[in-house]
Formats: sequence, structure tokens, C-alpha cells
Amino acid sequence: MYCVKCGVRLQEGVESCPLCQTPVWNPDALQAKHAWPDQLPEQHNERDLSGAVGFTVLSVVAAAAILVVNFVLYGYLDWGGYVLGGIGLFYLMAVLPRWFRHPRGEVFIPLSHVAVGLFLLYVNGKTGGNWFLSFAFPLVGISCLLSTGLFCLLKYVKGAKPYILGGYLVAVGGFSMLTEFFEHITFGTRMFHWSIYTAGCFGAAGLFLLTAGFIPRLRVALRKYFFF
Amino acid sequence: MARRWFRLDTAALIFPAIARRDWCNVFRVSATLREPVDTALLQRAVDDTKARFPTFFVRLRKGFFWYYLEESREPLRVRQDYAYPLTYMSSRELKRNCMRVLVYENRIAVECFHALTDGRGGITYLTNLVARYLALKDGLSLPAGDPIRDLREKPPAEELEDSFLKNAAEVAMSRREEASWRLRGTREPRGYRHLITGIAEAEVLRNRAREMGVSVTSLLAGTLALSILEMQAEARPNRKRRRPVKITIPVDLRRLYGSRTLRNFSLVLNLGVDPRYGDYTLEELCRSMEHQLRAGATPQNMAGMIAANVQPQQVLALRLAPVWIKNAVMDLVYRRSGEMGGINLSNLGLLKLPAELDARLERAEFVIGPQRTYPNNCSVISQGGRTYINMIRNIRESELERRFFSHLVEAGIPIAIESNRRMDECTA
Repeated sequence: MYCVKCGVRLQEGVESCPLCQTPVWNPDALQAKHAWPDQLPEQHNERDLSGAVGFTVLSVVAAAAILVVNFVLYGYLDWGGYVLGGIGLFYLMAVLPRWFRHPRGEVFIPLSHVAVGLFLLYVNGKTGGNWFLSFAFPLVGISCLLSTGLFCLLKYVKGAKPYILGGYLVAVGGFSMLTEFFEHITFGTRMFHWSIYTAGCFGAAGLFLLTAGFIPRLRVALRKYFFF
Repeated sequence: MARRWFRLDTAALIFPAIARRDWCNVFRVSATLREPVDTALLQRAVDDTKARFPTFFVRLRKGFFWYYLEESREPLRVRQDYAYPLTYMSSRELKRNCMRVLVYENRIAVECFHALTDGRGGITYLTNLVARYLALKDGLSLPAGDPIRDLREKPPAEELEDSFLKNAAEVAMSRREEASWRLRGTREPRGYRHLITGIAEAEVLRNRAREMGVSVTSLLAGTLALSILEMQAEARPNRKRRRPVKITIPVDLRRLYGSRTLRNFSLVLNLGVDPRYGDYTLEELCRSMEHQLRAGATPQNMAGMIAANVQPQQVLALRLAPVWIKNAVMDLVYRRSGEMGGINLSNLGLLKLPAELDARLERAEFVIGPQRTYPNNCSVISQGGRTYINMIRNIRESELERRFFSHLVEAGIPIAIESNRRMDECTA
């Protein structure tokens, strides 16, 4: 029995050619004896949670130890508050996503920024500083927008990597100038002292990438040398 | 007693590093007998081979600096075969055993994680397993030699050695080359693998290759290249935008260097043609493949390629890096080198067996799994006057297989086709 399209000989009893799916008409054929069983393997639903469990236990133990040491030494939460905040941030950013099969960057990036903001608010309150609203809050907010935007664009917009990365680098350059601006209005430091250089570097790199987006040969060369 | 353990050989280092949650590099060798297999006897045969082939009864362990293979105390149980070959070998399974022995009706199959051995090592183990099974069943007695080993003797050190280390050149060959065009398709859900076996008369295939003045491997590589070139021409009508088409051929280094190791000892050559400069006929492609294969598979050339793998291992800073850093580095290397090569065409050649054993086999097969970055692979073995060309894929589209086997038929080589597809799927 042969396939009329491919010309290959077929197993007796098959209903169509495995190569081109052309139906086989052979009313006299017996049911084919199949060389493979029906049994499908069990679906592996394997997830290695040992890292998540290990780090959770480590974080809880470290936090408990710090609380005990703080209260035994001072009777109240002294420097331990900063360390606990640091552990909390580490847990939220590095350990919590490990519990999820597909941790979503769109959720975890803003969440991490909110946590950083809250931590800085705590530090501000604890040290009696007056820099949260005019310095930390806007910078964390802009950083959140930039990082989440970059992540979402890279994830959902295909084939525009040089433009996205180029635009991002230019925005980071602008971000450094804003940082100096907020530093200036909060702490009274000199304006355009350092940010002009970082903005220049990031801006130039960003513009280079944006240009590369328009020149296919340059794009290919960059991909070749900076693959990851 | 302390468990015996083995360092991974040079070629094996990369396999644990590039394994993913749904993929790892596994291959399969199988022998179909002329009568149904007795599972209990096969289990005894498996147990009997353990002392003689210690590197096959191991589990994968992670040290601080390197992965290693450790003697497994978990008994290797003979299992029933599945509806498709090379089902996913999970990390949990690798931590127990890196090899499977499967049985279905008349067929005995061995599936190996590639870190244990390569196709030649796998077929040597399978041959000995089948010989032991037949000895237990019918008292078949075969003289020890190659490939049949005396199961009572201790494994010699030369079978356990990493032969790469002995045969590296002083100067490493550059890995740089142009990337190959890659086939793509619709991924099958849940890791399903389609296997299409093309069966040709070995004599006819050999004669046709001889008429063209090339080897069987070059003939098959040329035919594969022609099929892929046609598919690329349809996908990219603009010739300037086409990319080289490459066929990756593993070369067994044992013959080149006289090694008897049962660990990995093969390297791949990427044979390519560039469609931007014009079209090729089948004869031209086969001759080009033959020329590249002959020029590449020399001891000197291979020693340079071995050195490229061995030298990074000898850098102190890299040796001292924790295994997770090495994993990341090797993954990067694989992503880059994986992009260079194309479809694998692994030809084990004629399976040379003692006549008594050969007569008891209906057929032998060799299947390599799809690569992480390439959906199709092709593996070939000849036994009992027939050549079995196994084409595996993890995508729905069978266009490559259709073109490849049709070209072989057009070249005057009759092909019989079998597949693991179920009858109900045929009508779907």
C-alpha cells in the first residue's frame, strides 16, 4: 500500500499517510497492528519549592532572632526595625515570586516599589527626616513607572527591542536629572552637579540604540556581540 | 560501603546545565526480538548487567562546583513503554536513575540521559542487555569481545575514562560560525513526540550513495539539506534574506582515537550550504556534505574542537565558580552554539552483532530527542539488511519529513513509513 502523493510505502491498515495526511482508501485492509502502546506518561507537575521553603524558614528565623535580640538589649525595636524591613524587602523581591509557577512581573515590580516606598517612609519617620514626600516618594514612583513600563513593553511588544531599550535608556538619563532636581529642592544641593554626565551617557547610549533600530545591519551586529 | 561516583565527562558537563523544566537531552536505543519479551527475565538481565556497566546505573547529583554521577541504590525497574518515545525525564527521575529500561511486546528499549553516554555507548549496553536476556531465556552463549562483554569481569578503566582529556590539542579551534536557518512549528502540548520511521533496504541505500560517490550519511544529509532549503525558499522568497542551512552530524571519536570508553566520546560537525549564492541539486548537496564531512572529521580537526571544550574547564577561576554560575555560563554558550547548528543527523551505521544474536533480532532502532531550540531531529541505524531512519519532532507539522522521504523515493530509494500516530489521530 503506497501513498499516492509521497510515493512511500505505508503500513497495512493506516487510514492516512503520516507524512502528508492524504487519506488511504483500502477497503480490504485489516486493522493495523500498532507498534506503540496507548499508555501516555503521567504529566509531570514538578516544581522545586525547596529554595522558597529554605529562604522562608531562614527569613523567619532571622527576623525572630533580631526581634529577640532587640527587645532583650533595649526593650524596644531599635536598629532591628531597619533590618526587619530589609529582610521583608528581600523576601518580597527574591523569595515570594518563587512560590508562584509563573510570577508576573507586572504585579511584582510595582509591589516591590510599594514595599521600598513604605520602608523609606518608615526610615523617614524613625530618623525624623523630612525628605520622604519631596524626594523618596517621587523617585520611587517614577522608578516604578519606568521599570514596569519597560517590563510590559518588552513582554508584549514584539520586534521593537532596540526602540524600547533605547527609549528606556534616554528615560533613565532624564530620571538621573530628576533625582538631582529632587535632591536640590529637598537638601539644597547644587543643581546640575553630576546628573548632566549620567544623563549624557545614558542619553547617548539610548540614542545609539534608537538609531540601531533603523539600521538592520547594525542591529544584527549588536545582537551578535551582545547576545544573552 | 561508600557509593561509587564519577565526574561528568567533558561533553556531559553541558547537559545538566541546559536541562529545563520540560526538556532534557535524552536518546533511545531499542531492539525488537522475534518473540514477546518476558519482563521478569528482562529485570534479571538488567540486574545482572549492573556490575559490569556501573556508569549506566547512576543518578545525577549536584555538588558545589560540579554535577557528578553517583551509583544509584534505587533499583532500576523495567517499565512498560509509552505511546511516544523519549518522554520527559524529570529532575526528580534523574536524581534516582538516569536510565530507563522499557518494554513493549517484542521490544526492549533503553532511554538514557545524554550525560551518561552517547549513542555508541547506549547501543553497546543494549546489545549486552539483550544478549544477557537471551542467555537467561534460551541459554544463548556468545563469546566475549566487541560489543559483547564478559559480565563477570570488572569494567576496565578505559571504558570509564573521559577520553576527551587525553586527546585534546594544544590549541583550541574557534567556535565562531554563521548561524543556521531554523525550522519552526506549532508545539505539541504536553511534550508529545511524533516519530516517523522510514525503512529502506540498506543495500539499495548504499548503492545509490555509491553511485553519487558519497557515503550514506552524506546522502541523507544532502537530502535533509535540500528539504530544508526548499522550506526556507518558500518561507523567505527574497534570496538576500535567506540564511545558511546546516546539518549537525555527530562524529564518533572512538575510531579516530582508538578509544574504548563507554562514556560520551563524540563531537558534532555543522555541515552547511548557503542558499544566497544560488540553488543546489541533490547531487551537489550530497557532494558538498561529503567533502565537508571528510575535511572536518580528521583527528587533527577534532583535537582542536576537543580542546575548545576542554580548555575552559582548566581555567582555575572557572573551576572555582559555584555550579550555578557555571550553569548560567554554559546555558549562554549553548544558546549561542545551539543557534549555529541545525537539525541533527546521527548515524550509528551498521549494528555489528554476532550472527546468533543478529538472527534473533527483528529490528534495532536509534532515536535522539528533539533539541531544546530545534524541533526536529533525525537518527539512523542499520540492522538485518535494513536501514531505519527515525525522524522525531515536537511540533505538529510534518512538512520536513514529507519532503525528506519524498526526495529519497524520487532518488530511487523505496521507503516504507511507520509512525507512532494513533489510528484515531489519523482521521482527526
